[in-house]
Amino acid sequence: MKAAAVLLMASLSSGQTTAGKPKPAPLAAKSYKELKYKPLKEIRMPEIVSFTMANGMKVYLLENHELPLVRGSARVRVGNVHDPADKTGLSDVFGQVMRTGGTKSRTGDQLNELLEGIAASVESNVGETSGSVSFNTLSEHTGTVLEIFKDVLTEPEFRQDKIDVVKTQMRGLISRRNDQAGAVASREFERLLYGPATPWGRQMEYETLERIERQDLIHYHQRYYFPGNMILSLHGDFVTSTMREKLQKLFADWAVKQPPVPPLPPVTHQAAPGVYLAEKKDVNQTFFQIGHLGGMLKDKDYPALEVMADILGGAGFTSRLVKKVRSEMGLVYAVGAHWAAQYAHPGMFFVSGSTKSASTVETIRVIREEIERLRTTEVTEEELQVAKESTLNSFVFNFDSPAKILARLVNDEYHGYPKDFIFQYQKAVAAVTRADVLRVAKESLKPGNFVILAVGKPEDFGAPLTALNLPVNKVDLTIPEPKAAMAKMDAGTLARGRQILQSIQTAAGGADKLAALKDYAHTADVTILAGGGMKVKQDVRMVPPVIRLDQQLPFGKLSIYYDGKGGGWMAGPQGTAGLPPQAARQAQDELFRLHVTLWLSDRDPERTVNAAEPNVVEISDKQGNRIRLTLDEKTNLPAKAQYRGAGTAGMEVLYDDWKEAGGLRLPHKMKLLQGGKPAAELLVLEYKLNSGLKAEELAQKP
Amino acid sequence: MFQPWFRGVLLALAALCLAAQDLKEFEKKVTEFTLGNGLHFIVLERKEAPVVSLVTHVNVGSANDPAGKTGLAHMLEHMAFKDTDSLGTTNWPEEKKWLAQVEAVYDKLESEKNKGLRGSAETVRKLEAELRAAIEKANGFVDKEAYSKVIQQSGGVGINAFTSTDATVYFYSLPANRVELWFLLTSQVFRQPIMREFYKERDVVREERRMRMESSSQGKMLEALIQTSFLGHPQRSLIGYASDIENLRAKDSEALFKQYYVPSNMVMVLAGEVDPKEVKRLADQYFPALPAGPAPPRVITVEPPQEGERRVAVETPSQPLLYMAYKRPEPSHPDDAPLQVLAGALSSGRTGVLYKEMVEQKKLSLVAAADSTGLGSKYPGIFVFIAAPAVGRTTEENEKAMLEIIERVKKEKFEDAVLERVKNQVRARLIRGLDSNMGMAQQLASNYINDGDWRRMFTRIQDIQKVTAEDLQRVATTYFVEKARTAVYSKKPVEGAGK
Repeated sequence: MKAAAVLLMASLSSGQTTAGKPKPAPLAAKSYKELKYKPLKEIRMPEIVSFTMANGMKVYLLENHELPLVRGSARVRVGNVHDPADKTGLSDVFGQVMRTGGTKSRTGDQLNELLEGIAASVESNVGETSGSVSFNTLSEHTGTVLEIFKDVLTEPEFRQDKIDVVKTQMRGLISRRNDQAGAVASREFERLLYGPATPWGRQMEYETLERIERQDLIHYHQRYYFPGNMILSLHGDFVTSTMREKLQKLFADWAVKQPPVPPLPPVTHQAAPGVYLAEKKDVNQTFFQIGHLGGMLKDKDYPALEVMADILGGAGFTSRLVKKVRSEMGLVYAVGAHWAAQYAHPGMFFVSGSTKSASTVETIRVIREEIERLRTTEVTEEELQVAKESTLNSFVFNFDSPAKILARLVNDEYHGYPKDFIFQYQKAVAAVTRADVLRVAKESLKPGNFVILAVGKPEDFGAPLTALNLPVNKVDLTIPEPKAAMAKMDAGTLARGRQILQSIQTAAGGADKLAALKDYAHTADVTILAGGGMKVKQDVRMVPPVIRLDQQLPFGKLSIYYDGKGGGWMAGPQGTAGLPPQAARQAQDELFRLHVTLWLSDRDPERTVNAAEPNVVEISDKQGNRIRLTLDEKTNLPAKAQYRGAGTAGMEVLYDDWKEAGGLRLPHKMKLLQGGKPAAELLVLEYKLNSGLKAEELAQKP
Repeated sequence: MFQPWFRGVLLALAALCLAAQDLKEFEKKVTEFTLGNGLHFIVLERKEAPVVSLVTHVNVGSANDPAGKTGLAHMLEHMAFKDTDSLGTTNWPEEKKWLAQVEAVYDKLESEKNKGLRGSAETVRKLEAELRAAIEKANGFVDKEAYSKVIQQSGGVGINAFTSTDATVYFYSLPANRVELWFLLTSQVFRQPIMREFYKERDVVREERRMRMESSSQGKMLEALIQTSFLGHPQRSLIGYASDIENLRAKDSEALFKQYYVPSNMVMVLAGEVDPKEVKRLADQYFPALPAGPAPPRVITVEPPQEGERRVAVETPSQPLLYMAYKRPEPSHPDDAPLQVLAGALSSGRTGVLYKEMVEQKKLSLVAAADSTGLGSKYPGIFVFIAAPAVGRTTEENEKAMLEIIERVKKEKFEDAVLERVKNQVRARLIRGLDSNMGMAQQLASNYINDGDWRRMFTRIQDIQKVTAEDLQRVATTYFVEKARTAVYSKKPVEGAGK
């Protein structure tokens, strides 16, 4: 009976189905290939109202009542690439103290109490190429928070006590910057690529941090924070028309004007290709980065390059690198490739990851092979489809929140990109072919230019880095200690400083003769006392700012060439390598310290000449170089020079054996002391001045 | 992925609450149902955009790892991405045969090794070679990362998973129209994961441990803190011991799966633009295939009482750090709410006592913070303090200042304004969290599993609102006692003291 009833019901229900009634549950699909999807609901683009206020501030408003929240941000055209070199870190300090230092009407502590009491926030920040002041509040407190937001934006007070707190914090960050190997790898890689002496690669040091003062922050604010230099965007629980009025009223009295902010400095550095090693002894993994400078988002090939990077090492688990280096070889947990294009300056192409110390070379080698494969063979149709469909089918996630939509709009506007940039990108990705991927890989990936950085413990590397058959350079992670405090400086000491220098000039043969110097060379015998009395024959040639040094060492000849622009090479018995950054830095220091040009420092507007003591002149420049010359009162020539070396030790040069050379009086014997202990002795065999040296000759490799 | 432990005080507080009226509003958007096999579903409708976030929360964490096999739950998490018998293979019958062969050889190898010094080194070498060959053979049938590929190709984003002491959680988001793909793949993978490429993946997990713990001074300090605080409770193993990981077996992983991945020990959450009726229909189609099983065993071991302060040094050339922990009861204990408010009063934002005093006024620290739940949400745990000394300052100075504050908190009451501030922030944080499908989905899941009801994330606010200044004083006095304290401090390696 029972069975019959069930059967009956079954036939009934199937009868109903044919009659157009609800279907019974279909069976589960066995494979994803059987699945059929309805088209995705169209993305509802929210209405965004934009206008420009009378004072020049651009505004975007996006009304959305899902949650009782209002969020907003002023995007400011500013960035740490504009920081003066001798105050690197200014933007970081500014970004924090702008908020923590309080406003004209309230101290930072009062702001903290007030905002945190209502669970709201106002924060400020300056990054590489833009800054922001933002807020986030429950809508019931919008009025209060907007008022504070405006005060922080227009009238920050930069109180000294909070500057001190932030500087203490920043010193802490500097001291801790080598603690995490992964962070060391990404930072040093960027510095290698963009150039450690350029606005894109500089880093804050104790010395540059110390120089930052309240007045600098006030100037910074005046220069960059004006209505015409920002885009204000708000979204959340408000009525657009009311908010518009509110903002007009709020900012009506803010009408400061300033000249436009200069364009971003160009990226000019050319990193010397090769392997770079930064030693870190307390790790059992090597953190590596491999790559070179890349491109911009607006480049025609950007979409194809993104597809390419996706296939090589994109997010998720399907990339070639993940399949090969992780799944198949088990060498890494994390590995990825990035065509990290930027809006307005060249980004970086890089592969990064970490592997146990012993498999360092093997991993790097396999990654290079995978990159090479991408440059020589077309990707498969399946790889192309996965990469493209992944981007195209997930496109909706670009629009899944009002915050994202608004942020992208402001970003595009800020960088002068078209409003439909993302849709152009979508279209371009859809059109990418296998041939495109091969072409852009060939054109844009240059293995010969790769900088390969490894941060780790080389003793444990299974094979030495030299097995990669590329020059190996060391990256110096030493954190420079703050130099001794600068001497007191006033009109009197400055005048005395010039006086000292001018008496040296006269005693050495006259300022005009010194000024007429076009090139310089010397040959010397150097005894390195610290190295057990090792004798070295040294030839130095200079056509400032180009330097060439040739040294005959016991194991062969070592030549160093510095091109005066941050680059160069070194050549030894083992071959030729790019000039490591610390060697370039040393060359710059040598140029600064060359006695004949040093004596003319009062004619160089970039240098400050100040008497630290009645007979001691201190010469400094904006790069943080500083040297003290002590005058020998009998001869009016310098008796010694004191400066800080590449490490932290105090260096001293004692001059002796002054003789005529090329119409000048020059020291023929120099003793070098390091930390008060004799380190080297230099006997000049010959000086050659104005012998007609050419910079090109100096560049010739041995 | 292994979940980072210290997610910051702010995030720790985020697992919270809303007033009763907020809950009523929210309840309208939530649907729940349980399948016949015990598998529970929670659906949150949020129609801001045609996307959906998908979470599978399995109630098994590193605290459930068997002795000698620490890291196993995490290892299994990795294996759940290794596809199924129909997806990810070029020839399943052959692959299956070789996978069995791998295990057979490995059994022989272990049996030989288990003989210790009486075993034959020669046999071990032979079997090791045989094992490598069998692994290579089995790996030859792998169609790599097929499962991830299908999800990515369908527009899936954020594909990932984590294992904590409490749970293993798998998640990603899809365009809303493709939600059936999740049903299909999830139901297949969790019916029977394949131990494909297990021994290569074991190397990957080993690398993950090197990256997170062994090559990071913070990781080393964290391990020292947890493993000194807990001498018996299995949550001490965290990501697993290196030697355990290196010897994990596929068959162990399968056994853990069979025992813990039963429908009644899991919850599925879908949040976004989904129709609950459609979800129910698809669940009925796909998930009855998961076989029901008995509830897996709970953790029995109770941490023995701590009878005195414990202090541990960790040598590292990195800059100094200080971690301090006091034992505290499990998160379902009534004192949880006052402990949370206390952590907020001590360390939230720029008004927290620790920040104000140690960072701003005394300039002793770069970071000074507290977290009421230093580990998971299930077991008696620790209330953690951390400090990063400023340049030239020491861990001793930081510890002294911190202890002064802790003593003061026992003697002096917090002002009402401070309590109000913390309570307001707790509520606002929950509201802010509501705009993330993924964030909500994960919270609904963990509240359901750990507290028996997702509503707990809202009703907890009533407990928080009731907290008084006296409560803070009381819990501080009860729990911040020297006997229950563990301090871990870094120190520079002793020169010339070996490797």
